[in-house]
Amino acid sequence: MSDQNIFDKLQNIDRRVFYWVLFITLMVPFIYPIGLPVKVVQNTRDLYEGITGDNINPGDIAIMNFGYGVSAWSECAPGFTVCAKALFREGARIVFMGSQYDVELSMNKLMNDAREDFANKVYGVDYVFLGYFTGGESAIAQLATDAWTVYPSDHYVTPDAQIPLMQDFHGWQDVTVVLSSDTGDVGSYFLRQWQGSHGTRLAEIGIAMNGSTDYPYYLAGNYFGLSIGSRGGAELEVLIREPGEATTAMDSINASHLLIVLAVILANVGYLLSRRKA
Amino acid sequence: MTFILLILTFAVMYYYMYLGKHGKVFKIRTLPAIQAIPEAVGRSAEMGQPVMWTPGIAGSLNDSTQGPQTLAAISILEYVAEEAVKAGVKIAAICPLPDALPLVEETMRTAYMSQGKPEEFNIDSIRFLSGQSAYMTGTLGYLQRERPASTILVGGFYYEAVIIAEGGNTIGAMQIGGTNNIHQMPFLVATCDYMLLAEELYAAGAAISANPDMLGSIKGEDMIKWLIVVLICVGFLLGAARITFLADLLRV
Amino acid sequence: MSNILKREAVFAVTGLVTVLMFVEYFFFPQDWIVASTIRNWAVIIYNISLGLGGVRLIQQHVMGTQRRKENWQFSALFLVAFVVMLLTGLAGYLGTGVATSNGIYNWLFVNVYTPLGSTAYAITGFYIFSAAYRAFRARNLDAALMLVAGCFVILSNAPVGEVIWSGIPAIGEWFRFVGQVPGMRAFEVVGALGMIAYGFRALLGKERGFYAGGAEE
Repeated sequence: MSDQNIFDKLQNIDRRVFYWVLFITLMVPFIYPIGLPVKVVQNTRDLYEGITGDNINPGDIAIMNFGYGVSAWSECAPGFTVCAKALFREGARIVFMGSQYDVELSMNKLMNDAREDFANKVYGVDYVFLGYFTGGESAIAQLATDAWTVYPSDHYVTPDAQIPLMQDFHGWQDVTVVLSSDTGDVGSYFLRQWQGSHGTRLAEIGIAMNGSTDYPYYLAGNYFGLSIGSRGGAELEVLIREPGEATTAMDSINASHLLIVLAVILANVGYLLSRRKA
Repeated sequence: MTFILLILTFAVMYYYMYLGKHGKVFKIRTLPAIQAIPEAVGRSAEMGQPVMWTPGIAGSLNDSTQGPQTLAAISILEYVAEEAVKAGVKIAAICPLPDALPLVEETMRTAYMSQGKPEEFNIDSIRFLSGQSAYMTGTLGYLQRERPASTILVGGFYYEAVIIAEGGNTIGAMQIGGTNNIHQMPFLVATCDYMLLAEELYAAGAAISANPDMLGSIKGEDMIKWLIVVLICVGFLLGAARITFLADLLRV
Repeated sequence: MSNILKREAVFAVTGLVTVLMFVEYFFFPQDWIVASTIRNWAVIIYNISLGLGGVRLIQQHVMGTQRRKENWQFSALFLVAFVVMLLTGLAGYLGTGVATSNGIYNWLFVNVYTPLGSTAYAITGFYIFSAAYRAFRARNLDAALMLVAGCFVILSNAPVGEVIWSGIPAIGEWFRFVGQVPGMRAFEVVGALGMIAYGFRALLGKERGFYAGGAEE
């Protein structure tokens, strides 16, 4: 039996205890929702305003990139859905593409979550789903110069020549705005190969982990808007006035964030008091 | 303007590399993480456990910002492999990148050959785990089963960094990390004993070889940093005075 | 081919491609057929490497199963899964051009692969939690300041911060959107410079990783 005092024990709580506490903390808000209001920050507001109103005209082509897989649905999908809805309501035409091999699942989810908006749209005319691409930054660079060589057909193997929307999309010069939602670096590929080279308007719907990395680009004007993590998705849902998954998840985020701060405080109380005692 | 700055950067680096090659001695500060590699290998030798090296899944060679991290990680792998062969320690290279796999194999083979022990090289020491989730869980499984005494986590990482590093922490391994991905740096700093931050990862190759012309390139890089600092200061003062010609020029 | 010739060939190809891509990036606002062809080839080579990875995986696990190495049962399971996904995906692809049109492939992808991937991502939260609990100690003044700033940032990201104290979002957002930005920019700049220097050394044949141990000394 160790001779640890209470302060040492506070610093050395078994991590499995924390895993259980965190798990329960995350589950409880789903049963007893709290529903605190979400304040919208400027970068999210700029993103939303950048794809609505005077910034988008009917018929403009927007690229929306699924740079996230199913594992990041909770962080990226809500914001992505709001942006797709907003663009459709402005009359924009959308080219959907993806760098993850489960992109079809993400597209199906989007079509389900925004079914009312998709119901009014014609595939091939108002939107097209090009599917998965490989080749990383080289492919994105090539997409800017000659899109048909990267995607000779859409995801359903219909040749580009038979898709009305693709007749108007050959490269960067045909695209008004690019929205990339990713867990990795695809947004930065668009940043270098589209925004940096050709000045195409670009925004990012990213995970919270990438927020601090993306923010300097937003401040510098490379991104006209930025949505960070689930919180960004919830803010976009506030702006479009349609609460969804991100708003529901905010309760769990509240609980988990509070718990992590409490755990860190607990550990430091134990640490400081044990040092004082020593 | 960007092109001019790039050419200037190359010219300055080449100049210092030339000076280095012709006798001028440049010293760079010690990188504790690189100095810790022999210690990590020694720890593994004492404990009779292997060393694990892994470069992260972000660094596809097709990517202009992530690929160099993988290549820098492979430079470090050669050093680690040479030290491991000298000490008689097994090394496990877990590589999730199919395009880097031939480089990893060739690097390890060369390291064994350079130490005069080509017969000890075993291709099974290089494991390929494709896909982020498979890589992450596979590496965790390896850590739990084989319990390496030291782990070298250098390269381009995504969210698997915190999981792999924390997994290494759980088994009490000595961990050396390094990445240029800012979003993963805090996690590796919190979980690793030694860390290569940002440019230190790229300078590692030069630090290991102590080649005079490679050290010269780092000196040249430092000179360009000074230039950038001067530009920032001048730009700040001009910006405060609402004179934007420098900002406009650099946007060209 | 001798090692020296291999190295010289790598130098030559790397140097030529670099110069061509530089020229295209800086001097050609429109598409240049040469650079476009090189990019297409880069995509093709990357896709070939995916096949290489697949072959490597099969080799690894076939050997493991044949030699009855430790945990060979998992290698056998992997090979079964590989073959099933490959055949069903091919069947779907050959039938309609879309792999997921095959029912078995789609079911396995949606009901097995997807939940496993989501679970793996969810583990991140737990591990970050335990890493934060273990590592965030106020050992000195710098660490204490960082800890306080971190707490403000965490609480500003959640609406509950505003409920606790109305000043938390303002302070936390200052840290996130003003305080840490110079540091991030500094990292970006030095990281980019390091990358340029590394690329330059690699072009000159000095870097080992680039030439798989065959660099010029």
